[in-house]
Amino acid sequence: MTRFVGGDGSGRVVFDEPLQTGSTVRSVLEGVSSRFPELRAALWHERELGEHIEVLVNDAVVGVSHELDSRLEPGDRIALLGQFMGG
Amino acid sequence: MATLPTSTPAKTRARAEPEPIPGGYAGKLLRVDLTTGRTWDEPWSPAQMRELIGGVGLGAMILYREVPAKAGWDHPDNRLVLATGPLAGLPVWGTGGLTVVTRGAMTNGPVSTQANGFFGANLKFCGYDAIVVQGIAREWVYLHITDAGAEVRDAAHLRGKDTWQTQDALGQELGLSGHQLSVYSIGPAGENLVRFAAIQGDYGHVASKNGCGAVMGKKRLKAVAIERGTGALRVADPQGLMQAADVIGYDLKTDPSARSLYEYGTLPGVVNLYKLGVLPIKNYTTNVSTADLSEWEAPKLRNGFDHRGHQCNACGMHHCHMQIILSGPHKGALVDEPEYEGWSGAGWTIGATTKEDVSWLNTELDRACVDVNEFGWLCGWVMECVEKGYITRDQLGFDLPWGDTQGARRLLELITSREGVGDLLAEGVKRAAEKLGGDAQKCAIYTLKGAAPRGHDHRGRWDEMLDTCTSGTGTLESGNPVHPTEVGLPARINPFDGEAVARLVAGLRGRRNFEDSLGICIFTTRTRLENVCRALSAATGWAYTVEESVRFGRRTGAILRAVDLRCGSSPRLEYPSERYGSTPVDGPAKGQAVRDQWEKMLDTWYAEVGYDRKTGKPSPQTLEALGLDWLAKDLWPRSLSK
Repeated sequence: MTRFVGGDGSGRVVFDEPLQTGSTVRSVLEGVSSRFPELRAALWHERELGEHIEVLVNDAVVGVSHELDSRLEPGDRIALLGQFMGG
Repeated sequence: MATLPTSTPAKTRARAEPEPIPGGYAGKLLRVDLTTGRTWDEPWSPAQMRELIGGVGLGAMILYREVPAKAGWDHPDNRLVLATGPLAGLPVWGTGGLTVVTRGAMTNGPVSTQANGFFGANLKFCGYDAIVVQGIAREWVYLHITDAGAEVRDAAHLRGKDTWQTQDALGQELGLSGHQLSVYSIGPAGENLVRFAAIQGDYGHVASKNGCGAVMGKKRLKAVAIERGTGALRVADPQGLMQAADVIGYDLKTDPSARSLYEYGTLPGVVNLYKLGVLPIKNYTTNVSTADLSEWEAPKLRNGFDHRGHQCNACGMHHCHMQIILSGPHKGALVDEPEYEGWSGAGWTIGATTKEDVSWLNTELDRACVDVNEFGWLCGWVMECVEKGYITRDQLGFDLPWGDTQGARRLLELITSREGVGDLLAEGVKRAAEKLGGDAQKCAIYTLKGAAPRGHDHRGRWDEMLDTCTSGTGTLESGNPVHPTEVGLPARINPFDGEAVARLVAGLRGRRNFEDSLGICIFTTRTRLENVCRALSAATGWAYTVEESVRFGRRTGAILRAVDLRCGSSPRLEYPSERYGSTPVDGPAKGQAVRDQWEKMLDTWYAEVGYDRKTGKPSPQTLEALGLDWLAKDLWPRSLSK
C-alpha cells in the first residue's frame, strides 16, 4: 500500500489530516488521494470505493461503525490496507 | 450429457473418425487399477472436454459416476483423481497445476484440493490430462510416468521416507532433478492413514485438504513420479494466448490487491489479517498479540532468511521461495518459505512467534505430510487443553505449552506414528474432541461435517466460515471476491451483516470450481474472469464467456453437492463447532456474534443458490437451469415423474 503514497511498499506511512467542520470519511480520503494520483486510481471507482483496498475507521472496516459519508471526530483513525484473499 | 470415461479397460471399440482435440489438451486420461497393477489409456472426447474442462470438473463427474455410496474413503472403489487442465503446460503464469479429487478421509465426502509445481506441465507433456487411480495395491508401489506410458513400480525402498526424502530418492533413482521430474508423494502420515494426511510435491507444494493423503496411503500408492515429457501442446490461437498471458501478468503486477501477492506471495496476510481480527491466535482464545507486528511485514519475513525463488511452471510471480534458516536451533536448515497459512497453522494458532522456529516446523509438517491447517487446530487445541487441565502431561507424555515448536514436533511424531495418544489425535480434532467431550470439546475448532477450516479466524471473516460449512469440496468452494462487480455483486459489504455475507458467498459461487478445472494456480487467476476466459478461449478455440465460466462452476458445485449428500452429508451438519462459531472477546472483531445470524445466513444462502433448505439438494429448477436435467432426474425422481 505505501507505494501508492511514496513509500517502499513496506511499513506504514502516517498522515495527520486537519478536520474541517463536517469532515467525513469520504472527504478525508478524497483529500489524501488528491495528492497521490496512484492512490486515487487504486482507491476509487468513480464516486465509490473500488474493490481492492480495505478501509478501516478506528480498526473496523467501513460499513461496520462508519459509512463513507459518516462524520469524523478529532482523533479518529482511518487505515488503508491492501485486500488479502485466501491463504 | 456427454458420455463418461469408463472405469474398466476397453478391449476393442469401434471408432468413427476422431474429432480434432481442442488446443491445450493432451487428449487422454491415464487409468490405473492398483488391485491388478494394470494401467491403460482412455481417450476423452472434445464434447467431454467442453462439458467438464478438467480438474475438479472432471473429477466431480468421475466421483458421481464411479464411486457409490457404499465406497467410503478407504474402499477400493474410491477414486483418486489427479487432474490437470487445458492451461497446464502453457505459457500462462502458474500452469503446473494439480487438482486432487477424491472421497476424503475427514468428511468421507468429496474433496477438491490443489497444488502446483510442475505436475500439470510434466503430465501433459507425457500425453495425459489426468490420472484416475482405483483399487488397492497388495504392496507399496509408486507410479512412474514417461513419454512411453505408465508403470506401477515397487516402492518398498521408499516406505517410511518423508516427502522430501522420497523426492530425493526417486530423483537419484531416475537420474533427474529440478523440473525434469515432478514427484507428488505421501509421508509417514499418509502411510499410517492419519485422517488429515496430505499429498506433497516438488519440495513444498501441498494438496492438503480432507485427508487426500490418507486415501493415497490406503491405496498403498507412495508416490507419483512424472518425468517431463517431450510431447508438444497445440493451442488454437498462440498469439491470442500470449496476449492473454500478458494481460494477466500485467494485472497481477499492478492491481492493488494482486500486486502484493506478485511481490511477496501470501506473506502480507499475517499483518493485514491481524489488523482485521482474522489472524487466528492461540486457538481462537484472543485476537491481540504483544508481539511486534512490524517484524511480521512481508519484506522482513522474506529477508530475514537466505532465500531464493522456487517458481512453479511458467510463473513470473515472486511467490514461492526456498529459504535457509540463519539463526537459532535450526540454523542452516533448508526449508520452504511458509505460505501465510504456514505462518498461521505452524505459528500463531499455536502461539509460536519465533519466525525461524515456525518456518522449520512448517516444513516438518510438509515432510511428514499433514494438512497445516488441521495440525494447527489440533495442536492449538491440545495446548489449550493442557493449559486448562483437560489433557494431562501424563496422558501426553510431555509438557506442551503455547508456542513450543519442539513440543509440536513431538506431537507430530506421535500422530504420524499413531503412537499412544497420537492414535486418537491422528483422527483429527473433531473426532478427538468428540471422544474427550465436555469442556475439551467446547474449545475445539472444526466444522460439523469434519472439514478443517482454513488458517484464518473466520469469526472475523464470516464469508469463509459460511463457505467452509456449506461446501461440497471439504474446504472453501465458492470463490475469492477478486472482482465482485464483474459478476454483479457490490464492491464491498459490511462483513458482519449476515444476509449480505450470504449473498456474497452465493453470488461468487462457481468461480473457484472454474479456476480449479484449468490446471492453473489460484493465485495467478487473481484477475478478471474475463482475462482467464480469454486465455482458455485462445488455448482451446472455444469462445468461453464469463457467464459460461460461472455456470460451469455452479454446475460442478451441484454435482459435488449430490456426491456429498450421497456420502451422508446433510444441512444438519452445516454448522461451526462451539469454539469455531464463538464470539471474539477482543481485537477488531470483538463482540461480532456470527452464531446469532447463522440461521439467517443459511436461509439466505440456500435461497440464493437455489438449493432446498430441508434436504440440501439443488432444486429441480436450479438443476435444469444449469443444464443438469439428468441430475434432476436422479435427485428428484418422484417430483419429476408427477
